[in-house]
Amino acid sequence: MQIALYGLMCVLLIPFVFPTWWMLTSSVKPISDIFAFPPDLWPRRFDWTTYAKVFELQPFGQQYWNSAYIAAIVTAGTMIFSSMAGYAFARIKFPGSNFLFTVVLLGLLIPSEVTIVPLFQMFLGWGMINTHWPLILVPIFGAPSVFATFVMRQFFIALPGELEEAARVDGLGRFKIFWIIALPLAKPALGAVAIFTFLHSWNLYLEPIVFISSRNMFTLPQALTQFTDAYGGAMWNIQMAAATMTALPVLAVFIIAQKQFVEGLAHTGLKG
Amino acid sequence: MAPVTLHHVKKNYGDVAVIHGVDIDIADGEFVVLVGPSGCGKSTLLRMIAGLETISDGEVSIGARVVNDLDPKDRDIAMVFQNYALYPHMTVATNMGFSLEHRGASKAEIAERVKWAADILGLVPLLDRYPRQLSGGQRQRVAMGRAIVRNPQVFLFDEPLSNLDAKLRVVMRGEIKSLHQRLGVTTVYVTHDQVEAMTMADKIVVMNGGKVEQIGKPLDLYDRPANQFVAGFIGSPAMNFVGGKITPNGFEAAGTTLPLPAGVTGGNAVYGIRPEHFELATDGLPATVLLVEPMGSETQVTMTLSEHKVIGVFRERVQAQSGSTITVRPNLAHVHLFDAATGSRIN
Repeated sequence: MQIALYGLMCVLLIPFVFPTWWMLTSSVKPISDIFAFPPDLWPRRFDWTTYAKVFELQPFGQQYWNSAYIAAIVTAGTMIFSSMAGYAFARIKFPGSNFLFTVVLLGLLIPSEVTIVPLFQMFLGWGMINTHWPLILVPIFGAPSVFATFVMRQFFIALPGELEEAARVDGLGRFKIFWIIALPLAKPALGAVAIFTFLHSWNLYLEPIVFISSRNMFTLPQALTQFTDAYGGAMWNIQMAAATMTALPVLAVFIIAQKQFVEGLAHTGLKG
Repeated sequence: MAPVTLHHVKKNYGDVAVIHGVDIDIADGEFVVLVGPSGCGKSTLLRMIAGLETISDGEVSIGARVVNDLDPKDRDIAMVFQNYALYPHMTVATNMGFSLEHRGASKAEIAERVKWAADILGLVPLLDRYPRQLSGGQRQRVAMGRAIVRNPQVFLFDEPLSNLDAKLRVVMRGEIKSLHQRLGVTTVYVTHDQVEAMTMADKIVVMNGGKVEQIGKPLDLYDRPANQFVAGFIGSPAMNFVGGKITPNGFEAAGTTLPLPAGVTGGNAVYGIRPEHFELATDGLPATVLLVEPMGSETQVTMTLSEHKVIGVFRERVQAQSGSTITVRPNLAHVHLFDAATGSRIN
């Protein structure tokens, strides 16, 4: 019975594992081998020069840095704002808080494609086109942050009120209660928020192609589309090498923070 | 240490009044227990003393200061919560020293005070542990340690033993009482458990529906309850009540006439008698036995006097069977009579 179950799980795993495997192996195949039929699951020849070519054809190091620092700022900013907003919605009683929270949540219902043109006009007016500001500000104050606020609010709602009252008796004001008591206890939720936000920023594609036009300013998803030959054909092996390098930090972040990610989701009552 | 005075204290939530003008004087060093059924307002009143609830009207004073508008941290109180409210991400030592740390005490002073409190409560081996690594009783002791470490003027306890099992509750009851005797700090303690109230208090405040029903020493409340509510609330098993009328022949209730103390007059009333104040007597009233529960030191008998179900507790070992008849007599020195309309004591 157990063997059958494991067999079934292995079969179900194929659609998830195969694309990653294909990406990894294609990144070290000559381009002709990628299209060989029948396809080779293990490369007949290894061509490691593809990884070097990634850096020759694009300012890939710069683009990597762009994605990394933007994702880091967006993640930190979202963690700060969403934890404070989530705490306020969960723990501070003020008139209209539920209504306001509903209004904030409505932001999740608006697709980013709908707001991209007004945002472009707004950032154009501010002189921020072809800068990284839109890629930082839009996620921090946009839908990803709303979702993060929701996650944090759900966590803080479950925090026992007596802890805050004890802290008040112990001499803490509102901000210190948040900072010293509530926030350290919210590590699982913060971990989930950090992963969500980092992944979202790292994988952001629409906004970069709208707001960024020079190669040095590109982020990685945008850069991946640029590995083409003189005729516009994709240089698949080089693209796969670039994609592999792009996916590595994401995998690393998820593997490291997997436990907190799952705990954070459990606290929100959401299942990933 | 400081006296605590509540003068005509009221609490409203919108249009709903939950505390209806309470006056309580708590002397310096006194151990006062606020007791009453769930929803009677005792915890709200305690939280008003702590500053965790605003005061709609009246005055709360700690020492010579009216503290109505002071933050909890400025009232010089310490509170032990029902769920202990220990900070989960801090060790026992950090939990205990937390308030001192945030009041600017030096590290040496904090260490000294934490050690002093830990010594008193037997917490020294646990100082480096986290709350999740402690048992319920240990957490309770840490919560008390956190309260005493700062040497406040007043301790406030909000049903601190309600999460413990019965055996541990008895142990902790004794520890809290002996801690009070050792430190002599004014203490206000909230519980719904009248046994806790009776065993721990210097003075009990019985509350019901946001009002004080009676204030007094435990045995005074037990022996001379001011009204039917207090009489029924204090004592376990509860006082028996029989409704009827005071007549020259005795207390006439449906199907039976109960003897009255001399000199009692009146009309419709409620006859109250505690279970232990029934006596087995051959010339007593016939009672039909419903249930006999031998406790070892005493026997609890549930029986009917005519149609009135009552409980008697006897030092004797009652051998009666269910359905058999015994004869019992109320001890007239311990009969309580209450006005049928108002519930107030009339004898």
